[in-house]
Amino acid sequence: MEYLALHGEQSLEDRLEILTDAAKYDVACTSSGVERRGNGRDMGNCAAGGICHSFSSDGRCISLLKILMTNECIYDCKYCQNRCSGDIPRATLTPEEICTLTTEFYRRNYIEGLFLSSGILQAPTFTMELIYRTVWLLRNRFRFNGYIHVKAIPGADPELIQRTGFLVDRMSVNLELPTAEGLRSLAPNKHRRAILAPMRQIQTGIRENKSDLVRYRNAPKFVGGGQATQMIVGATAESDWQILNVAESLYDKFGLKRVFYSAFVNVTGDRALPALPGGPPLLREHRLYQADWLLRFYGFRASELLDPKRPFFNVMLDPKEDWAVRHLEQFPVEIDRAPLEQLLRVPGIGVKSARRIAAARKSAKLSFTDLKRMGVVLKRALYFITCGGKMMYPVKLEEDYIVRNLTDVRDRVRFGSDGMTYRQMSLFDAEQFSLPVSAEEKLRSAVGQL
Amino acid sequence: MTVYFCEDSLESIFTAIYQAYAEKRDHSDTVLSLSPEPMLFAEHVRVTPDVEKARRVIRTLQRRFGENDYLSLCAALASEHREKAQAVYRTVADGLRRDAGPGHLFDNLADPWVNMAFSLGRGAGREIQHLQGFVRFQELESGVLYSVIGPKNNVLTFLMPHFADRLPQENFVIYDEKRNFFGVHPSGRDWYLLCGEDAVQPALRLSEQERQYRELFRHFCRTIAIRARQNLPLQKSMLPLRFREYMTEFRQD
Repeated sequence: MEYLALHGEQSLEDRLEILTDAAKYDVACTSSGVERRGNGRDMGNCAAGGICHSFSSDGRCISLLKILMTNECIYDCKYCQNRCSGDIPRATLTPEEICTLTTEFYRRNYIEGLFLSSGILQAPTFTMELIYRTVWLLRNRFRFNGYIHVKAIPGADPELIQRTGFLVDRMSVNLELPTAEGLRSLAPNKHRRAILAPMRQIQTGIRENKSDLVRYRNAPKFVGGGQATQMIVGATAESDWQILNVAESLYDKFGLKRVFYSAFVNVTGDRALPALPGGPPLLREHRLYQADWLLRFYGFRASELLDPKRPFFNVMLDPKEDWAVRHLEQFPVEIDRAPLEQLLRVPGIGVKSARRIAAARKSAKLSFTDLKRMGVVLKRALYFITCGGKMMYPVKLEEDYIVRNLTDVRDRVRFGSDGMTYRQMSLFDAEQFSLPVSAEEKLRSAVGQL
Repeated sequence: MTVYFCEDSLESIFTAIYQAYAEKRDHSDTVLSLSPEPMLFAEHVRVTPDVEKARRVIRTLQRRFGENDYLSLCAALASEHREKAQAVYRTVADGLRRDAGPGHLFDNLADPWVNMAFSLGRGAGREIQHLQGFVRFQELESGVLYSVIGPKNNVLTFLMPHFADRLPQENFVIYDEKRNFFGVHPSGRDWYLLCGEDAVQPALRLSEQERQYRELFRHFCRTIAIRARQNLPLQKSMLPLRFREYMTEFRQD
């Protein structure tokens, strides 16, 4: 227990660094979902769209002060760098320190609010109580009116979760791994049922609160920004199909606002974890997010995008293109007449441009140039749409042809899917030329004997 | 053809729109020009800005097209485009002719003027959104929060209400160094704009704590990045370089 002796000497800077480092694998850093004007007295307001305050060198948005309260933990999850068997520096911030940091950062417009998570200190309920105390202080003593996102700790006293819910804007419980088996193998102290219980509780809380708000306008708001969760992708053997189905049922049955996917980064080097020589599965994560958007805003179902026979996303086509080329019987779509739902299914047309098209076609006949100006990506859309009965170029409505044109030549070569594994032979391609040049040969060539 | 010459201000441009309607001009044959160069074969009218006329136009715009579309028009006028006045004027004329209704002013995107007003408004709107996040205050010795910005569009008037709502008890100043404007918010009172010549640049002596929090935040930004996912091009597209010279975490001081 040497680190405890060190504790007093750690500067605030060191502790902030340790606890930031410990929190960075949590994905959610959004500050969206709540519109709250300032009250003219306390510091802070919230914007519905969320505000990004900076971007870190991995390109992710920095919106909230994302830290752990402590990185000490009694659990031993194999993928987590804070697990109890890990030999890392440990640190803890007191509730007052967290509040001061948050308000001082907020005044300088560094951040949009606080994202507070924690390792499990002593017991889930004890930890949740610390979190509750911090948030209570921040709201009532420090009079902070900005965005707060906290983790609900599975296994904590429901009463505490309930009370915390009335103080914060968003709550999340991490599902961690998409299936119960995955969870059993990598996180022996966590149980799926224990994770789903607080999720259900928060959902019920939000629903009841909605009807309260209808009756009493000034009823306190419970988790106004909705709840979110996160799944690790690539640590266990689940397919995209399984993950997407879990996400869909979370949206349907638990009323979640967001499901986040986090490409697995092997930080602990545990032997139960896969080695990732090519880096974290970022493309897979990207495809999952694209599909997630299709579920939430484009009216797709998970079963349309993937099925048990094709459980993984296409590497080269995004999920919408992939769906479109497999359903060519529904195309081309006429821009002047097609209903909004059909426009939304065209690759290259997003929610905004679909709405713009629907509004603009009332007063004018649209041309391809107009579409381009409205934000339609013609490079992708041109195979699937007609304007005034005509396609942009004479194109064949044929799967192979379209796929070949949608994918970049460079991608096709990179992924080797075009049969492009061959290349033109040259004189210097022969096997022996790849051998390193020996010192003797160098000498001989230098004196002109070779 | 009629040409109205106006200044680059909301007041002047809205007054010109008022006049064009009051004088019953043919809107497809009327131009609002910001540059003083005369045109051939045109009747020239110099517009004197009139607060009351401008206010009446604003009221009409808000009533007919809703608050959001009105704000988009204002954002379009905050841009630096030469033809912004004309684009806004033709958009308004088109909206009134069609009786567009709230939220539908920019529906007719196939029209080049509407499209231009829309894109100008969107561009300025994006910059406003960016700056709401990217503005950095530093605490001066006197406790005043001070920030410098150098935006492409004239967005200070849009930023001030946001921060005044957010930090009602703070004394803060945002300085637009490209246009030499100060936005000033005294604690607990309404904010106002100061033109550069009237204002005395305050002596920038930082408070004692400032350096500490600045360092803490820089540490935070460095640590939060995941090395295995490093993606500098993505960072650059999300946070263009032109903002960085004003941002604490990217500066060296």
